[in-house]
Formats: sequence, C-alpha cells, structure tokens
Amino acid sequence: MSSSKSIMSTHIFSTDHKTIGKQFLFFGIFFLLFGGFQALLIRWQLAYPEQPVPWWLLGFLFDGDGGIITPDMYNQLFTMHGTIMIFWAITPLLIGAFGNFLIPLQIGAKDMAFPTLNMLSFWTFFLSGVVLLVSYFLPMGVASGGWTSYPPLSLPAGGIPGLGQAFWTLSITVMGVATMMGAINYVITIIRLRAPGMTYFRMPLSVWGLWLASILNVIFVPVIAAGLIMLLIDQLLGTQFFLAGRLAAGGGGDPLLFQHVFWIFGHPEVYILILPVWGIVSELLSVFSRKPAFGYKVTAICMSTIVVLSSLVWGHHMYTTGMSPLLGKTFMFLTLLISIPSSIFFFNWLATLWRGSLHFDPPMLYTMAVIWVFAIGGLTGLYNATVTADIYLHDTMFVVGHFHYTMAASVLFGGYAAIAYWFPRMFGRMLNPFISKVHFWGTFITINLVFFNMMALGYAGHHRRIYNPNEYEFLQPLMDMNIFITIMALLLGAFQILYLYNFVQSLFKGKVAETNPWKANTLEWSMDYPIPHGNFETIPQVVNGPNEYSHPNVKDADWVCQTVKIEGES
Amino acid sequence: MDKFKKFLPGIWFLDPPKDISLDGYRIDNVIQYTDFVITLYFGIVVAAIIFFVWRYNSRKHPHAVHDHGNQKKHLYVTVAMGLLVFFSIDVVIESMSFKDLKEAFWNFPKGKDVVRIEIMPQQYAWNIRYPGEDDVFGTDDDIVPPQNILHIPVNTPIVVQLTTYDVIHSLYLPNFRYKQDATPGMVTAMWFQAKETGNFEFACAELCGNSHFKMKGYLTVESKDEFDNWIASQEPEVSEDDEDDWGDEDEGVPTKWAWQWKELK
Repeated sequence: MSSSKSIMSTHIFSTDHKTIGKQFLFFGIFFLLFGGFQALLIRWQLAYPEQPVPWWLLGFLFDGDGGIITPDMYNQLFTMHGTIMIFWAITPLLIGAFGNFLIPLQIGAKDMAFPTLNMLSFWTFFLSGVVLLVSYFLPMGVASGGWTSYPPLSLPAGGIPGLGQAFWTLSITVMGVATMMGAINYVITIIRLRAPGMTYFRMPLSVWGLWLASILNVIFVPVIAAGLIMLLIDQLLGTQFFLAGRLAAGGGGDPLLFQHVFWIFGHPEVYILILPVWGIVSELLSVFSRKPAFGYKVTAICMSTIVVLSSLVWGHHMYTTGMSPLLGKTFMFLTLLISIPSSIFFFNWLATLWRGSLHFDPPMLYTMAVIWVFAIGGLTGLYNATVTADIYLHDTMFVVGHFHYTMAASVLFGGYAAIAYWFPRMFGRMLNPFISKVHFWGTFITINLVFFNMMALGYAGHHRRIYNPNEYEFLQPLMDMNIFITIMALLLGAFQILYLYNFVQSLFKGKVAETNPWKANTLEWSMDYPIPHGNFETIPQVVNGPNEYSHPNVKDADWVCQTVKIEGES
Repeated sequence: MDKFKKFLPGIWFLDPPKDISLDGYRIDNVIQYTDFVITLYFGIVVAAIIFFVWRYNSRKHPHAVHDHGNQKKHLYVTVAMGLLVFFSIDVVIESMSFKDLKEAFWNFPKGKDVVRIEIMPQQYAWNIRYPGEDDVFGTDDDIVPPQNILHIPVNTPIVVQLTTYDVIHSLYLPNFRYKQDATPGMVTAMWFQAKETGNFEFACAELCGNSHFKMKGYLTVESKDEFDNWIASQEPEVSEDDEDDWGDEDEGVPTKWAWQWKELK
C-alpha cells in the first residue's frame, strides 16, 4: 500500500471489505458491552427491587432518583437492551463483520461487488447508531415500549412521553437501510464474483450461512422498513394506521396489522441472526475434526429449507391475540415442520465429530458450546410453537430464557468461535489460548445457569417485563431464584471483561500468528498477513471442496488448499 | 433439600402455580410430554458429544477418517432421523394440542348456566362488568364492581369478552394456565371453569406502560350461592338515587362502557 494514501482512506473511509469488516466488529463490540451493561441493571432491579444501584454498576447514573431504578427507567432499560443487542450488536458482529471479512476472501474475490456501497452501508449503520445514542439525551428519555414497540403503546396516545419512541423508529429505519445495502452487496458478490471453480457446492458452509441470511435480509428488511415508516408518521403526523378503539377518530386503523408486519420480518430476523452461526459452526467443526463436513450438501439444503419455512411461521408470536383457530393451527403445523431440517443438520454436526480427530483449541470449544446451547434453545422452541402450551408460557420468562438460548447464547458462542478462529487472519496475532479457555468455561457455566433458570421461572408463572415481582404473591417464592440468576449474570458479565482484556491485549501484544495456524483449506488462509487491499494478486482457480481434510491421497499433511489438485480426484 | 433444590438449574424443581381449572391439566400434560421427549433427545446429543470427545480426541485418535457422509446410506439415516423427530415430537404434541383446542379451549360453552363477563382493562386497572338481572349488557342494572375485583362461581363455565380502553393488555390467569389479549378496536373472548374455591391473583401480561407491573387483579372463586349473594350486594351501575351521578370519570374510571355481547359462531 502506498504511503501517500492518508489514514482517512485506509482506515476510516475505506472501501476495503476487510477494513469495513473490522469497523463493524469494533462497532458491534461497543454496543454489545453497552447492551450487556443494561441487562445487568435489569437483573439488579429484578433481584433487589428498588434498592440503590451499587457503584460498580455505575450507581451514580441514578443519583437523580435516589439511586434506584424507577419504573420508567426499567422499561427503557429492557426496551433498549433488546433493541441494541439485536440490531446494533449481533447484526454488525456476525453479518457486518464476518459477512464483510469472509465472503470475498472465502470465495476468491478481490472485494465486494460494490465496494463504495459497502462503505456507505457501514457509515449509514454508524449514523443509525448515532441517532440511537442521541435519543439518550432527549428530555423525556429513550423509548420504553419494548423492543417490539407495539402500537398503540408506542404512539403518543399510548402515554409514553417525549420523542424517544420516534427516535427508536427512525434509528431502526436507518439501520434497515444500511442492512439492505450490505445484504444486496453480499448476495450479488456471492452470485457474481466466485472464483473460477468455486461452484455453489464448493463454498465453505460459513459463506452459505451468510448468503442465506443476506437473502432473508433483502426480502424482509423492506417489510419492516415499510411498517416502521407507517409507525413513524403515526407517531409524528397523527395518522392512524395502527390506532383503533376509543383513542382513534372515526374507526381508525388496526394495531394487529403492525404485529403482523413486525413478525413477518421478526421471525426471519431470528434466522438472519442464527444462520451465520450455523454456517460457521458447520465449517469449524470440520476444521477441528480434521475431516469433511458430514453431509455437506444436505446441510446446505436443510439451511435453505429453513430459510423458506422461516418466512411462513410468524403467526406463532401471536397465538394470544385472538387469531382464528384455523390460522393458529396452520402456523403451529408450519412451525413444527422446521424441526425436520433442523434435526437433520444437527445430526450432521454430530456425525462430523464421529471418527474425526478432535482438536480442542478455543474456537472448537466455543463451537461445541453452540451445539449445546442451540440444542436447548431449539428444543425449548417446541413449547412456544404449541398453541396450548404457548397460551400459558407466552409473555413469561420462559420465552425470555428460550430466545436468549437461541439468540444470545448461540450467537455469542458463535461470535466468540468466529473471532477466536479468524483473529489471526484479521490482526495477524493469536488470542491468548489460556485466557480464552478460562473465559470459555466461565461463560459456558454461567450463561446456562442464567438462561435455563429463566425458563424455570417462566414455567412457574413469572411473567416478563415486570418492574417489581414482589407486587404479586405468587411470584414471591421465586425471589431466591431471581437473586441466583442475577448473581450468575454478574459473574457472566465479569467473564466478558476478562474477554475484553484478552482481545485488547492480544491485539497489540499477542503471539504473532503463522500464515495458516489452524491448517485450514479455505482460500482466506492461502495468503500471508497482512492481506493487501484487493486480496488476491491473481484470482485463484479452485479445484476442491472446502473440507478435504485427512484425504488419503494427500501425503504428509491432513489438509489441502482448495486450489491444490488432489491426485485421483476429478 | 428443598433449599438446595431451588438453586439447581431445573425446570423440574420449580412448580407452576396451583391449577384450579377444569382444563389446565391439558396444558400441563402437553408440557410434560414435551419435557420428557426433549430431555430424551437432548440426553442423546449430550451422550454423543461426551462419547466422541472421549473416543475421537486427537491424542487418542490422531488420524481422522476421510468421509463426506454423502453416500446413499448416510442420506437414509439422516432423513430417518428427521422423520423420527417429526413423528415422535411434532405429530404427538400437535395432535394433543389440536385435541385440547377442539374439546376445550376453543369449544365455547353455551347454555343458561354460563356466567358471562365483560372486561375492559385500562392503564392500569381492570374494569369488570356483569350483565345484571336482565342478562343483557349495557342496561342500567349492569353490575360493575370496584376495579380489579373479579368474582366467579365454582364449577360453572365462565365466558369473558375483552376489549381495551386504551393500549393492548392481556388477561393472564396463572391458576388457569391461560391468557388472552385485549386489543383496541376488537372484541376477543376466552372461557374457563374453576374447580376449587379460594382467592387468587391475575395479572396483565402485555407491556402497557410504566405501571404495567402494578396491574394486578384479585380473583375470588366461591360457591354459586356466595356468588349470587355477592352480586346481589353490589349496586347496579345506574341506580335510582344517583341518576345524576356522572360516575368517577374525573378520577379516570370510565363508566357506561359496555358493548353488545358478541354471539360466537
């Protein structure tokens, strides 16, 4: 890279997909910490209701209210925790960072199809984050209508004062624009820029996961964007798309319409978040078992089937709204169908371990944790898919525990696995393996104790979004469990500080990495660090699938780069 | 041991609230079957992981077997796996759930002994209305007890219709394993039947604002006679001596909010 280029064009307004990926990574980590901190405040209030927030949870922030979290603040905390984690932490971490970093490198492209659009995507994302953060300085505070922001509560008529709700809507709309720009780019890059020989069924499964997630983004983010724009003009201009009943003039619109629009996007969204993790897990299991991904094609086809099914099941979020019985049964049936492709690729994951040679480096540990937590998260989804069980469990802590298993625990471990695995590719250094292992075990134990017990609370009837559980007699016996969960959540937070230390320390002082530390086949490991802007000097010719580990015809090594011909393979 | 139990992670150690309903057992049953079958599958997954970690770790098994798992026999096994899950879990819980919906939850009782109640939640209280002597809602003899007070007779089917005064709320009856949303602009319905008397709580399950957590109601299940006496002791909404009373509208308590009972098809 020529030295005449300014730092602005190489590090800030860069069109290099690797730089943009790193920008998304740091952006995501910042919001992950911010959202995680709010989770600890929620847990504090649930275990020690209306007791002063201690100094080590930044109690001074609450000095104006006698040091305690007020009901308004509590609602703001869980609203923003959910919103930030889904849209500004998980999305940039997996799709933003790894989508950008991996797709061109793993398919043998020099960059994204539209590098400038890619840069614009990040900076639009950045802008949406600024809009979100600015809303913290509004006189009446941030949004407090829940991450779903159902109208009429989220409309001025719902009684939440100030402009917080409007800023919430606006920031997510802007975020949606950024996501669409990124997703279109990913989809087209994968379709158009695969290196010669890189057929769809020679792409690493990590690229498959990111590709499918991007396709869902392209289709469904416009749906929520349309709904949010309607919500925004309801909020600011007094239209009545989503207002009805006494509060509306002349009949009004329909609040349920928003719920439908929200979940038509919202259910695919959970697959948008988890699909990259499935891909990464499938890929890493193969690398660290030193054998090909079992049933590679079947796994890819199953993930694609789930993409289709995921867009037909949104109604299972709305069983208690009084939907027609026929509709309820249909949604239940379609939802349960997802268990077939899920159990097939899950079986393939386990079969990949079978007769492998398992290396338990930190990325593999995190990957194994995904199998564990996603098994629990996926299986407990059955209760919520069942109309009758869901009528009891809907809006309880059971749902909170369930979706944290799938979206928080699975995605976190998937993200940790990806960072641990590709850290040397991104920064040329290794994460400290000892601290990584301590962090792994600490996180694994505490995260299970937090989220499993939340499901137990929900089963015991504990409804969610409750400021003070002591208000109800039937919840008082559950207080000990609430305290236990909070202590485990605080420990979980402490282990993440350890992780942050490892990340920052390794960034500057970590062991310098070899070119291919994990002896992996895929193209991103075929170049020395640092990979220049433009990646490949000459576009590689791909001749193998991504997972030809331990091939009997390859002598002296248990791996072979995708560009090296194996004797006897056509 | 009891003290120890609740510090263990376990859906099996925390009990749901006491079930006092005729049909709550159906929900408990489907949950218990799901508990059983997913524990079984999760156990298989964990056993497989433990076995593979022990048997195929790189020290014990330095050379992996090159196998794509893409032969016909592998495909048969994986598809059989998917179908096994489908028939052992999905088909069973689906037929249980459909049967319960058909026989109980979506099978609204009809007849003279049914007690009909209209409930209109508001931020942050429950407005409750009984039809009074003429059995018609929206007439002067409607019984409107103080907010948040719900009385029902035992062993009698109760049909509740819901709408809301402002935002979305949800009537949550933990002891009946049931909840139903109240949505602006529409009337929704639920029914239940108690088989035990006593005092219980009900709650709002849908976030409705900053005092959502305080939106608690008190449910009294009593014998038919006690219930009739209680109804008789309540003042009708519009009695002769307070014709001019405009209710407590100033204090945020709505009056005369009844709707015509919606006959269910």
